[in-house]
Amino acid sequence: MTRDWWKHLVLILGAIIVLAPFYMMVSYSFKSPGEIDRGIGGFFGRQEMMIDPRCVALRQPGRADIEAARTRFPGQDDAGVQAALLAETEADCSMRPAVFNYSKAFTEAPLIRYLLNGVIVTVSIFLIQIVVALPAAYALAKLKFWGREAVFGLVLFCLLIPVHAIALPLYIMLAKLGLTNTYAALVVPWTISVFGIFLMRQFFMTVPDDLIDAARMDGMSEFAIVWRVMLPTAIPALLAFAIFSIVAHWNDYFWPRIVVTGNRDLFTPPLGLREFKGDGDGSFFGPMMATATVIVTPLIVAFLLAQRRFIEGITLSGMK
Amino acid sequence: MAGLSITSVKKRFGETEVLKGVTLEIEDAEFVSLVGPSGCGKSTLLRIIAGLEDPTSGDIAIGNETVTGVRAADRNLSMVFQSYALYPHLTVAENIAVPLRMRSLSTSQRLPVIGPFLPGAQNKRADIASAVQHAAEMLEISALLDRKPGQLSGGQRQRVALGRALVREPAAFLLDEPLSNLDAKLRVQTRAEIAQLHRRLNATFIYVTHDQVEAMTMSDRIAVMMDGEILQCDAPSVIYEDPSDIRVAEFIGSPKMNILPVEVRDGALSLFGQSMGRAAEGAQSDVFQLGLRPEALRLAESNPVLTGSVTHVENLGAEVFAQVDLADQTTRVTCRAAPTERHKVRLGASVGLSFDLRDALIFDADGKRQRRFEASLSQPVEAA
Repeated sequence: MTRDWWKHLVLILGAIIVLAPFYMMVSYSFKSPGEIDRGIGGFFGRQEMMIDPRCVALRQPGRADIEAARTRFPGQDDAGVQAALLAETEADCSMRPAVFNYSKAFTEAPLIRYLLNGVIVTVSIFLIQIVVALPAAYALAKLKFWGREAVFGLVLFCLLIPVHAIALPLYIMLAKLGLTNTYAALVVPWTISVFGIFLMRQFFMTVPDDLIDAARMDGMSEFAIVWRVMLPTAIPALLAFAIFSIVAHWNDYFWPRIVVTGNRDLFTPPLGLREFKGDGDGSFFGPMMATATVIVTPLIVAFLLAQRRFIEGITLSGMK
Repeated sequence: MAGLSITSVKKRFGETEVLKGVTLEIEDAEFVSLVGPSGCGKSTLLRIIAGLEDPTSGDIAIGNETVTGVRAADRNLSMVFQSYALYPHLTVAENIAVPLRMRSLSTSQRLPVIGPFLPGAQNKRADIASAVQHAAEMLEISALLDRKPGQLSGGQRQRVALGRALVREPAAFLLDEPLSNLDAKLRVQTRAEIAQLHRRLNATFIYVTHDQVEAMTMSDRIAVMMDGEILQCDAPSVIYEDPSDIRVAEFIGSPKMNILPVEVRDGALSLFGQSMGRAAEGAQSDVFQLGLRPEALRLAESNPVLTGSVTHVENLGAEVFAQVDLADQTTRVTCRAAPTERHKVRLGASVGLSFDLRDALIFDADGKRQRRFEASLSQPVEAA
């Protein structure tokens, strides 16, 4: 036993606090509504067959169905046929809770479409952020021009402005331009990332001036230096920035909620969660948590894939 | 290949004047070192020649063509940097090829996937590959072509940087302290290799260093810079034996030259009150400075000019340097002794020193060399 056991204890407690909501989310996404309500069933629930009440309600046999099915149940009166049909429907509508939750997540709302929207929006934002931030950061870090320090001061100042403070003016501007309910409304306000400019500028400060001078001697223009020299050396920093940017915009609920009103084709994944927010008749926690699990999975997978590169990038000084 | 001329180049950064009107003519195929203490403006001068920095005033011409205001890349100069400045994401071969790719391929031909298939690109790419191969063979780095700079040792990186410089066949090579990141042993070896490369390529080299040994061993001419000026530009032997300024004399040579105050009254030269000789010319009364290399001082048993006690001894094997505190003064001089005389310069021993006045250099109070005064000196008394 090492003397550092208490450090591990603190870390384990922290890990539990961080992981508990994820545990609940994944667990709920497997369980039946009854198990969720009563808080029983362990992690997986008992996975007993359950009947989807809405499925049954939607397929309630009518007069025509009874007439059509009469031949299949000879010698039964109407009530008998109806009971038999109901039993069939219930058999059709019964499934394991896990299957129920996940199939609901994908069928009740066009979740695939939402995920696609999420990819389109986050990738567009990230790419445009790089296109803007890299040249800006290069200029702030390596070029000498009048007012450079003042401009950098402005960048730092902009870091202090909370998004929510400028949400309303932004919304009004977009509305006046007729851009609400478009991809542009989701992407454009985020294309200039002062955080990205700041982060890349700090990284570029560590790139030796000699490297840039060598590129100039070799005949590269300033833009070629940004894209052919600075970009490849900045991959570790870009990965770090990518994690911040993509996580923030993939998970963003506030901004899409404001600028996308009504048009479900533009919903991003977090907006999809609203589909299961039952207003009068209670919430569908199972499908909702299944949706949440589906939404966070791509991020976790992406981080696990990039993790090695990311940490390598941060520990490698790159230039030396 | 071309000569260079630098005409009254001045550079100021804000209030500080870094270069105070530098003029220098460099012949074709000449190896010129710019040497001086840090902050003397030698690197700034090199960057101005390269086009990385604009002079405040003055002109640079390469092969009779004024290049002031011309972009660095269009001056056809190569530069080797102290930190090597290799592109970390490219292999050695790609690093060496960059200047050629930028010069001979068009923007579209440089495109990653379709570039190689554009008309004319194939031939140019083959030319570049063979030029890279040739440079790599010359520098003996053919085996490293597929590696990344991060996988190379300092010496290997230095060669790659040299390869990138020579592959474009520039008008002149500019080298900015290229050896200062190497360890001592490798530095000596690379020094010889750069000198050989210069002879083989027969190209113009401008070499910036603060290390006088590098300057002395490699150059055709050394330009000693101090405080933004070139004090003297001459062959290494002239710089060492016949400096025209006391700052040059003190900077070049290790250990440093000894400087002793001498007095001139009515043409008579005296050192610490002893008469040293008479000068026929420049009979004005003044205080001059006498410069003596450590090897000009001899240990003398009889009639020593200077006496003192040994305070520090450095035995380098082939020679021994002794620091001697002079008896009546606070002055300390360094004297070179042969290994056979080692027993005479034990720590604390009192020794006598003498010298031949012909080996001494005389400077005025401002540090300017007094050649006419030296020439007119006669030595009546046996100083030795």
